Amino acid sequence: MRSEDLIGRLSADLTPVRPMAAPGWQALLWLALAAGAIGICVLAFGMRHDIGERMGLPHELGQWLASIATGICAALAAAMLARADRPASWGLLPLPPLALWLASLGWGCLADVVRLGPIEGQLGTSWGCLRFTLLLGAPLTAALLLLLRHAGPVRPRPVLLLGALASAALCSAGLTLFHHLDAAVMVLLWHGGAALVLLGLAALFGDRLLLRAPGSG
Amino acid sequence: MSDGEWEAWMAAAQAGDARAYDRLLRAALPLLRGIARRRIRDPAEAEDAVQDALLTIHRLRETYDPTRPLKPWLIAITERRAIDRLRRTSRRAGRESAIDDFGETLPDPLANQGEAKVAAAELRSAVAALPEAQRTALGLAKLQDLPLAEASARSGMSVGALKVATHRAVRALRKRLGVEE
Repeated sequence: MRSEDLIGRLSADLTPVRPMAAPGWQALLWLALAAGAIGICVLAFGMRHDIGERMGLPHELGQWLASIATGICAALAAAMLARADRPASWGLLPLPPLALWLASLGWGCLADVVRLGPIEGQLGTSWGCLRFTLLLGAPLTAALLLLLRHAGPVRPRPVLLLGALASAALCSAGLTLFHHLDAAVMVLLWHGGAALVLLGLAALFGDRLLLRAPGSG
Repeated sequence: MSDGEWEAWMAAAQAGDARAYDRLLRAALPLLRGIARRRIRDPAEAEDAVQDALLTIHRLRETYDPTRPLKPWLIAITERRAIDRLRRTSRRAGRESAIDDFGETLPDPLANQGEAKVAAAELRSAVAALPEAQRTALGLAKLQDLPLAEASARSGMSVGALKVATHRAVRALRKRLGVEE
């Protein structure tokens, strides 16, 4: 078929559409949804008993804020990258808070080694962290990808990874509110590990949501 | 093009104005072609990339923000489709090699009979895929060129059955080898 004929057919099929909400609004909508879902879980599980004490420590508070900032920046970056004409540099937005978050987790591990002794003594299992991030993070990631499914023909993979990062970071921030973990290495291992598992799952299954041939639907 | 004209057409297209949409896509076509041709050397492949881009533009038309310039949006989509197509072709090219490049490489005339050999091999495999009766009929009546009566005596098939089987065999071969009736 000639391209001119294709144009004729496309304009003959034209149906009115409503221009999509701006990416900032989409990110905000999803953040509100995520905050609501995580808030309900925190209410259901109850705040950890030492929350006041924990949030009084500048290091802990900084770490918590960094994880929230990572989530917000990643969600905004995903919404921006889902639009064809927005510059790819939006993808860099979540890197500073992510670096800050990971650095504070690493720093916490070092401080714990000094305070509590070798890391082996601090290791334990916390399947709860993993389960929480997966059970809540997976639907949140799916919701964001569904909201941004128009990214499929444009930049599917970066949007997918940023979406999973946004969910994982916010889930980790939520976990911090009610889940009691003593040592930073445990937080790094279980929160970070859960985030990685979520990213892997998104990379495996997210393609179905985003990657479809152009013109297929 | 005057400032804002394409944007106005696209906004009208979002509202369902087919004529504005048609005019916009036709006006933008040289731009899309330019992008695709700059990336893809083969003109047919480049044109396919342009059509991929048109389909994507159509599918994503609700994601265009009418307050922003349209050109960067069109360019980004077309670049993406051209790169996708280029990747697909280079993946395919990794598995295949163009035989045209090797057609006449050897001085010995007998060495350049590759195509005839390939055709013969295709014909042999097509004959081998025929049902037994059709293969026998074809072999006796056409390849060995025996009179029908003798072919009938050798194969044990009646003359009528031989005629039908030969006809069917030839038709099946034509179809399989892609010869137009």
